[in-house]
Amino acid sequence: MSGSFYFIIVGHWLSTPPVFEMESLPAEKAESKDDHRHLNQFLAHAALDLVDKNMWLSNNMYLKPVDKFNVCFVSAFVTAGHMRFIMLHDIRQEDGIKNFFTDVYNLYIKFAMNPFYEPNSPI
Amino acid sequence: MAQCVQSVQELIPDSFVPCVAALCSDEAERLTRLNHLSFAELLKPFSRLTSEVHMRDPNNQLHIIKNLKIAVSNIITQPPQPGAIRKLLNDVVSGSQPAEGLVANVITAGDYDLNISATTPWFESYRETFLQSMPASDHEFLNHYLACMLVASSSEAEPVEQFSKLSHEQHRIQHNSDYSYPKWFIPNTLKYYVLLHDVSAGDEQRAESIYEEMKQKYGTQGCYLLKINSRASNRASDEQIPDPWSQYLQKNSIQNQDSYEDGPCTITSNKNSDSNLLSLDGLDNEVKVDGLPNNFRAHPLQLDQPSDPSNSIDGTDHVKPASSLHETKKGNTGIIHGACLTLTDHDRIRQFIQEFTFRGLLPHIEKTIRQLNDQLMSRKGLSRSLFSATKKWFSGSKVPEKSINELKNTSGLLYPPEAPELQIRKMADLCFLVQHYDLAYSCYHTAKKDFLNDQAMLYAAGALEMAAVSAFLQPGAPRPYPAHYMDTAIQTYRDICKNMVLAERCVLLSAEILKSQSKYSEAAALLIRLTSEDSDLRSALLLEQAAHCFINMKSPMVRKYAFHMILAGHRFSKAGQNVSQLSPDGPLPQLPLPYINSSATRVFFGHDRRPADGEKQAATHVSLDQEYDSESSQQWRELEEQVVAVVNKGIIPSNFHPTQYCLNSYSDNSRFPLAVVEEPITVEVAFRNPLKVPLLLTDLSLLWKFQPKAFSGKDNEEVKELVTSQSAMIGTEVISEFLINCEESKVARLKLFPHHIGELHILGVVYNLGTIQGSMTVDGIGALPGCHTGKYSLSMSVRGRQDLEIQGPRLNNTKEEKTSVKYGPDRRLDPIITEEMPLLEVFFIHFPTGLLCGEIRKAYVEFVNVSKCPLAGLKVVSKRPEFFTFGGNTAVLTPLSPSASENCSAYKTVVTDSTSMCTALVSSASSVDFGIGIESQPEVIPVPLPDSVLKPGASVQLPMWLRGPDEEGVHEINFLFYYESVKKQPKIRHRILRHTAVICTSRSLNVRATVCRSNSLEDEEGRGGNMLVFVDVENTNTSEAGVKEFHIVQISSSSKHWKLQKSVNLSENKDAKLASREKGKFCFKALRCKEKEAATQTSEKYTFADIIFGNEQIISSASPCADFFYRSLSSELKKTQAQLSVYAEKQSTEDAVRLIQKCNEVDLNIIVLWKAYVVEDNKQLILEGQHHVILRTVGKEAFSYPQKQDPPEMELLKFFRSENTTVSSRPSVEQLSNLIKTSLHYPESFNHPFHQKSLCLVPVTLLLSNCSKADVDVIVDLRHKTTSPEALEIHGSFTWLGQTQYKLQLKSQEIHSLQLKACFVHTGVYNLGTPRVFAKLSDQVTVFETSQQNSMPALIIINNV
Repeated sequence: MSGSFYFIIVGHWLSTPPVFEMESLPAEKAESKDDHRHLNQFLAHAALDLVDKNMWLSNNMYLKPVDKFNVCFVSAFVTAGHMRFIMLHDIRQEDGIKNFFTDVYNLYIKFAMNPFYEPNSPI
Repeated sequence: MAQCVQSVQELIPDSFVPCVAALCSDEAERLTRLNHLSFAELLKPFSRLTSEVHMRDPNNQLHIIKNLKIAVSNIITQPPQPGAIRKLLNDVVSGSQPAEGLVANVITAGDYDLNISATTPWFESYRETFLQSMPASDHEFLNHYLACMLVASSSEAEPVEQFSKLSHEQHRIQHNSDYSYPKWFIPNTLKYYVLLHDVSAGDEQRAESIYEEMKQKYGTQGCYLLKINSRASNRASDEQIPDPWSQYLQKNSIQNQDSYEDGPCTITSNKNSDSNLLSLDGLDNEVKVDGLPNNFRAHPLQLDQPSDPSNSIDGTDHVKPASSLHETKKGNTGIIHGACLTLTDHDRIRQFIQEFTFRGLLPHIEKTIRQLNDQLMSRKGLSRSLFSATKKWFSGSKVPEKSINELKNTSGLLYPPEAPELQIRKMADLCFLVQHYDLAYSCYHTAKKDFLNDQAMLYAAGALEMAAVSAFLQPGAPRPYPAHYMDTAIQTYRDICKNMVLAERCVLLSAEILKSQSKYSEAAALLIRLTSEDSDLRSALLLEQAAHCFINMKSPMVRKYAFHMILAGHRFSKAGQNVSQLSPDGPLPQLPLPYINSSATRVFFGHDRRPADGEKQAATHVSLDQEYDSESSQQWRELEEQVVAVVNKGIIPSNFHPTQYCLNSYSDNSRFPLAVVEEPITVEVAFRNPLKVPLLLTDLSLLWKFQPKAFSGKDNEEVKELVTSQSAMIGTEVISEFLINCEESKVARLKLFPHHIGELHILGVVYNLGTIQGSMTVDGIGALPGCHTGKYSLSMSVRGRQDLEIQGPRLNNTKEEKTSVKYGPDRRLDPIITEEMPLLEVFFIHFPTGLLCGEIRKAYVEFVNVSKCPLAGLKVVSKRPEFFTFGGNTAVLTPLSPSASENCSAYKTVVTDSTSMCTALVSSASSVDFGIGIESQPEVIPVPLPDSVLKPGASVQLPMWLRGPDEEGVHEINFLFYYESVKKQPKIRHRILRHTAVICTSRSLNVRATVCRSNSLEDEEGRGGNMLVFVDVENTNTSEAGVKEFHIVQISSSSKHWKLQKSVNLSENKDAKLASREKGKFCFKALRCKEKEAATQTSEKYTFADIIFGNEQIISSASPCADFFYRSLSSELKKTQAQLSVYAEKQSTEDAVRLIQKCNEVDLNIIVLWKAYVVEDNKQLILEGQHHVILRTVGKEAFSYPQKQDPPEMELLKFFRSENTTVSSRPSVEQLSNLIKTSLHYPESFNHPFHQKSLCLVPVTLLLSNCSKADVDVIVDLRHKTTSPEALEIHGSFTWLGQTQYKLQLKSQEIHSLQLKACFVHTGVYNLGTPRVFAKLSDQVTVFETSQQNSMPALIIINNV
């Protein structure tokens, strides 16, 4: 069960669909019976409340794990433009996740520079 | 947490109240039973004191107790079963309804406006029941019995005796080790003797005297005479008396109503449910214990049949079937409690409780507290220091005295009942019960320390819990609420003691306290922490409360709220609870799920296509199953324009718009679409489920608004607005279940049936949004194998709507539109319902799917008018008119159908005798009769309806001949049927029906033909025009199995000016059979038709000449042969016209060239009719067909089907003007050579005695015939061309004698013969073809040489005799 991740980018409007969504499961993990993957979306969404609260308490874009549900941690990263990157993970690995967020941020910036990309639309 | 009715300051004291047992005699029980109440129940509404009570604490301080409540209950000797408690709680929750007139809280958080109910009465009922049903435990005394009421009736024979019996019984229960339950607070329980007196039945004097006796015996403080039943039960309905019991007993009595033997509504209907019912107070256990009159019973929560598997204690939440619950509820409503009690009786009971509390209970408590205090003080004074010192010395050995049942268990050690550590806890509990929280706190605090020292974790946790609560309840709040005590207690209960019930109590209390202090996030954390797998109901309720905590925070956490509500809802559903209480009522909410791709919405007007019915195949028309294809839609549009143009005499009306039956994002949606009344409108909505949870939509339908218009047509001023459900004007189809799997995109097709004219606006969709029960726990897709099978049990659903708003295309016409972002309207969903229109359905019968190229097949088309309006003006238009025909428009030309098809031939045939084989049979027909003529649109074909009108409901079958296209492969042929209403409609002028036929053709024959001028001149009637026609027919069919052989049955010509005359050189192959890959050659002589014939004929009259190889003549001038001929001719013409149109413009001025060209032209068309013998499924079939070759130019080979040319290589785009645009105005040599036809006539061999005469003279006739229609000047030059010197040296040259140059003028079509003489000097073979002929049009200056180079050498043999 450990080693699965769920990553989502959420724009600032509530009505728009998520900008990006991806999940990664450990290779050996087949479709198991007690699969709670469907909860990921709910968890990420619920964590937005805490992200919105915590982002004003920190100077950093990276917010550390903001929420926890059972074994699942929710880390977040808020860009200057208030795009919220949310990562669900079941193992503590702050550095890795921070680096990942930074990389994704770089990519996202490059993507957002594309004049044909409309902000907040799904990538 | 949600708002509660009770504040926490009321809740906690009410949850911990002094407990009093009641032990009744049978007789006493009978008296109360008249009111449908037990004794304990009788007292229940009056168990709260209305006045303040005073007591003195151990320090002799006056202490005021407010709102004291006591709990009286019957003695039950069994501890409650966990399963039973669980079931009770479940029923309480499901029985609890949201409060009437519920005030919905509107909370605005961020972009959300939430409309939530602020209260959760089911939770409060649950909590109340939960706290009341806590089993008494050894580590705390709060709910141990402090006193016992012994109740007997005045009507008993020996009341005093009865009292002592009861007293003994009580003593036995408390002190006999057989009974570990119920628990008693202290060994000498207060006994209070109550004498019940039935006023309406009993002897008052006797009661009073017994009471006096009791007072003597037990003291005035220890007994009471309670008079009840002042009213006879049969007069119940006279007076309306409030029923104070209903609110207390409602929920609990669900379970026990059936136990009243004398009750009016004994439920016997459902045995199963009966056995499931709980006997809350054990009233149906009429088992006499030890012969005692009193029925003390098992615990109220004891089950009747503990062995019943459905309520065995297996740790699951049991759900009573809802039906049985309802039945019992219904049964319950008929019972009136306290029917024999008057208001005075109520007051008496109230008085009794007051008296009992004041005189009996409180003094007892006061005394006990004092005793305990004294004990503790003495112990403290004596051993405070020693105690701890010894403890240190004998560390570990200082263990409380072991008793038999003392066990070292997970919760630490257990104390014996009389252990000193427990005395302080006892005192604390007593103080707590009488609301002396200061004292209680200090006692709990002390006890806590002791217990912790002893590692008695359960006891410590209990003390911590109560210490925290007392600290909170202390008046004036001297210390902050020690939340960490609670946390420790919860953790200890849960993790060390594994006692979830106690942990839960702790959480409920702590959360409530935290809530009162606005510490919502802490409360939420506590609540969430206690959710676990062992109880879904508890988890659900706690999660729900946690959700309410989130929403009540200073900055509401909406998403957390939503998430926890979902989790709660899920748990509720797992617990089998009806969670409809979660869904708010009111106007339909806008639902966010599933996503709707509005722009992908498609609208279809019309009925669904009928499935194929045997040989009958409905027209494909338009359906939602067809993908949009811009190319084909453009094609359809062109077809429609074509037919409309024909109908309107060549002009397309300015207000014409192509008919659109299916609207999508590509169609033109700027105008309101027109729908016809009584024809369904189908809307296809594209849903997408972004979640990883399958969504189930139920009762899915369209939401619309309709403005009806009166049929009369007069302006309807008042426009009624109607909304969906309530209208007979528009029928709405409802899809009962629509499942969208996780992350799936799916379309739903929803229908509307307009029954009235007017304007319809489709607003959106309305549905119940829900999930599938049980699918959350198992993996999404895998768990849903039966997706299509139907019934899903709905766990919960919310009814709501989603609007369909379609943005139109971005506007880009004006400057303003270009510079700003503006969108046009999209009126896809706003159809106008118009009056009835005819509706055509077309069926094809025996329509083939495979044909040989050129094959003729007969099929039938059925036209059905399915509407209530007559239909007229039926036409069909197709880009491939050469593919089909309905036959000529004169009955004579059309074979009678369908009887004519019996001889298996699609053609009209006549039996002929074989003698006429070689000569042609001539007939003629006008192309106008076959719909080809002056009209410029051969693609538009009127359908020959018998009366040109199709009446409502009528159907017509017409024969239709098909001819396989000449090209091999798969052909999609589009038919567009056009029709109109007889009555002119202003909005819809016409309607259309589309059909796409798919035909696969395979190769059959390849025909090539050439025509050349015959050199013979002997036939005088063919003046200037004798032609030889060579026809090569090759069997190109490649299929080995299918076609065995082809028979050429007839070759016909069709032309305005030419006709085949006879077959020349007919080979021995008389049958004209062609096996696979065989090639046959035919040669025919053709003549120009007689001029006079031609003159009388209109220019469109064609002469058909048939040359027959069999014994049957196919009348080629009749349908269908002529039809297809004309069609292929016109399509061929069109093709060449399109090619030549470029040249034509330029060269029209060059008359000379044109004239020259013209004489090269010939308009002879050859029709090859054949039969193919085909073996299919071991049956021999004869197929027929025809090929056309159009001959235009003399000497040029023409094909039945143009040979495939390599696709031209991609040309570079040139940006400069092409240099050689000027086409040479010189006609080609070939063309010129045909201007004048020359032929030499001479003997083939000439014998000449050279030894007699050395010069041999041979007369030669040179025939010059003018092929053109103009006058031609001809120069004949006989001089040898001396181009090369070698030519002269050729041995055996000859000389022309006489005039070497002639100048002639030939009139049009004139033949002139020139007598020449050739002179030979040697024997040998000579070529006479040396004269050079120059020709020029008389009125032209340029001279062109006609050359004879191409013609065959004219050889002459000169022999010497």
